[in-house]
Amino acid sequence: MTQSEIIEALLAFIEQDDASEAAFERLALAVFAHQFAHNAPYRRFAIQRGRTTLTVRSWRDIPAVPISAFKTLTLSCTPPDAAERIFMTSGTTQGGVRGKSHHPTMAVWSRSMLVNFRRRFMAGRERMAMGILFPDEVAMPNSSLAHYLALAKRDCGTADSEGFIGAAGLDLPRLSAALERAQDSGEPYALLGASFSFVHLLDALAAQGRRFALPQGSRILDTGGFKGQSREMTPDAFYDALSAALGVPREACINMYGMTELSTQFYDDGNAVCPPVKSGPHWIRSRVVDPVSGRDLPEGATGVLVHHDLAHFNCASAILTEDAGVMVEGGFRLLGRVDGADSKGCSLAVEEFLRAARG
Amino acid sequence: MIETAGHLPGLPAGEVAWRTLEFSAWGEHVQVRVPELTTAQAGALAGHVRENARSYLRTLPVCQIVTTLDAAIARLLDRDDPWRRRAEAVLPIVTGYDRESVRLGLSGSLRSFRAPQLQRFLAEDFANPAVLDGFQPAMKGGFTRAQGPQLLLHIWAGNVPGLSLWSLICGLLVKAGTVGKVASAEPLLAGWFAQILAEIDPRLGECLAVVWWQGGDAEAERAWLDEADTIVAYGGNDALAAIRARVPVTARFLPHGHRIGFGLIGAEALDTRRAGPLARLVAQDVARWEQQGCYSPQMLFVARGGAVSPREFAERVSQELGALGLRHPRRALSVAEAAGLAAWRSREEMRGFDEDGTVVLGEAGDGWSVVCSEVARPLAPSALNRTLKIVAVDSPDAVPPLVSSARAYLQTAAVAASPRELFRIAALLGEAGVTRICGFGAMAAPEAGWHNDGRFNLLDLVRLTEIEQSAERAADGFADYVD
Repeated sequence: MTQSEIIEALLAFIEQDDASEAAFERLALAVFAHQFAHNAPYRRFAIQRGRTTLTVRSWRDIPAVPISAFKTLTLSCTPPDAAERIFMTSGTTQGGVRGKSHHPTMAVWSRSMLVNFRRRFMAGRERMAMGILFPDEVAMPNSSLAHYLALAKRDCGTADSEGFIGAAGLDLPRLSAALERAQDSGEPYALLGASFSFVHLLDALAAQGRRFALPQGSRILDTGGFKGQSREMTPDAFYDALSAALGVPREACINMYGMTELSTQFYDDGNAVCPPVKSGPHWIRSRVVDPVSGRDLPEGATGVLVHHDLAHFNCASAILTEDAGVMVEGGFRLLGRVDGADSKGCSLAVEEFLRAARG
Repeated sequence: MIETAGHLPGLPAGEVAWRTLEFSAWGEHVQVRVPELTTAQAGALAGHVRENARSYLRTLPVCQIVTTLDAAIARLLDRDDPWRRRAEAVLPIVTGYDRESVRLGLSGSLRSFRAPQLQRFLAEDFANPAVLDGFQPAMKGGFTRAQGPQLLLHIWAGNVPGLSLWSLICGLLVKAGTVGKVASAEPLLAGWFAQILAEIDPRLGECLAVVWWQGGDAEAERAWLDEADTIVAYGGNDALAAIRARVPVTARFLPHGHRIGFGLIGAEALDTRRAGPLARLVAQDVARWEQQGCYSPQMLFVARGGAVSPREFAERVSQELGALGLRHPRRALSVAEAAGLAAWRSREEMRGFDEDGTVVLGEAGDGWSVVCSEVARPLAPSALNRTLKIVAVDSPDAVPPLVSSARAYLQTAAVAASPRELFRIAALLGEAGVTRICGFGAMAAPEAGWHNDGRFNLLDLVRLTEIEQSAERAADGFADYVD
């Protein structure tokens, strides 16, 4: 299949209501063949793992690239200069080295985001008033999250939706005014942004002794964890505090799990109980593997998550994350990052060495 | 199976709160009860140990302490002794190391603490060990006596069995009232050793305690730090920095941070006859304690120009690691360890795509990983757990610049080279920061009396009291026999 045929097939696939495993597999093998043919570093990686288009029979056999590879290799089927958009990781985890994902077109990424977002966050509403707790695309042109939030606001937000993070950080007076208006209007309000921005908001509200009671149907979407940008909070403390400060029940606090190295996001159905079950749409499938052998672990065993995202057609659809997880009925539970362990004894381990090198 | 950790002389066990730590490995499970002392209990225990050390341990001649330690070690070396049987049964479950590794590793390290070796420890640091018993004439004139701390606190870390004994025994040799905090990863051996000592000499058993608190628990830690006059602590630099911040300025703080070991093989060691046995020794050093020891090799520099090339040598090390894995399987890895290992391996694979010189040997699912790089690389940690990077160099002289950036973390280097080369390279490595140079196969078994991290194990613990000649001369004037 040519690239344009793949794009066409993917857009059609996304519009379906659901897909069987066989249908997913057919498209997965076609996308793998495309990546194997046009993405030279990925081809070398696959061959090193003994996987080629001749030996791979099932989507589960398609070799998963560790996300660290996005930092060292240019994983793109098309010339990188021709990309419409390049998303980059924040570089917080590996001493400033940023992983890149090249997108020759944003059509598939955007469709993937919107169809899934409507289904999982909008709860049947066409549009909602939105407040965004993240810098905009002008400030962060390479941030997939900035683009995600821009799409959400443009396609699913009402005209008075706005962002509240500027060059000077959180604009609390403007946000407080918006929250007050929402409170008085009785119309549901959606607050979306980085988890650490919510911590900043919580701290700022606590300092002023302020609380809001957003109207029924209001929702919160947080993503990305704290990343050293704010104090760390346990999930329970975080959602309890959000719920208390904004009047949004924990079951309406949705956590989105997305990555620069994917073109599709995962959601839970609220955080009444943590960790909740996360799941994605029919064009992404996940596995939990033993990271050393790469083999699937049985349901209920803790391992490392592999995601297979058909929408990430230009780079590598199958990625090995650095997230621990466990497969459960209806999806998986996310159990946090696996950073590589510190030494059990007194030898120097990679993590400590890197921390020291970063100073 | 339920085990109780610690040794709390003078504290009734019924009054102590206990926490249970769970360990599983090799299809077995063990629960270990560890004591959680209140600040008042910690204070009372510290007082008990300090007072008993003052009234008893300090009155013992050092040779008698050596005899008692030797008897205790003999019991742990005797495979029919109930304590030894217990150690062999329980430690594999607690630490995850396989039975044979625990058996061999224990014997290997315990052997360093027999009476002749303990005498060597003493002789290494004291020209005349009798200074620990009383005033001895000093070279400069006058008299000198060495006294250990009244209360010496050890904060141990890690799961390598027997590591705690090094500093515990050093403290007892200088007659320190001793309190050791065991690591959650291996909370048992130090307490057992204390109980064996108490069986052999009950009054000595009153002079030391083995305790536990959750690592990083500032309140529990401060209670002990305030009691001790000397603190020996093991751990990563972050943990050590946190402890140091809480150590009273009047106390002596002796930290032992994490270390990175490496090996260096000269071309003369790489003929076809010698390379095989050498590869076997390298594999043993790598497999021992799954590279968790400070002395464990994480990188190997191999000189080009021998009959066996660095790449061929890497193949041989791989084969030996494969063979060792059949007899001594790798410890089961946690998800984080497995992820770290996979990440290390894939990083090396990626590097191999970018440059021709890097090859990852073996399959991802093997119980070991060897990477061979033809491009000179600075010393950096492997993923531990039987992972080794072999770096080809044109000559041994290329190595010191490659390791010097890790200077703060250097300790052990194994060297295989001719005598003249050994001394030449040792000087360069010493300048780069290496403190211990040993042969392959001996990396995990430092010899008795070694200077851990290049420091004096005993001398660093003591304080000297000197009688100057002026006092001696003046005393003559006050003697009843004065004319």
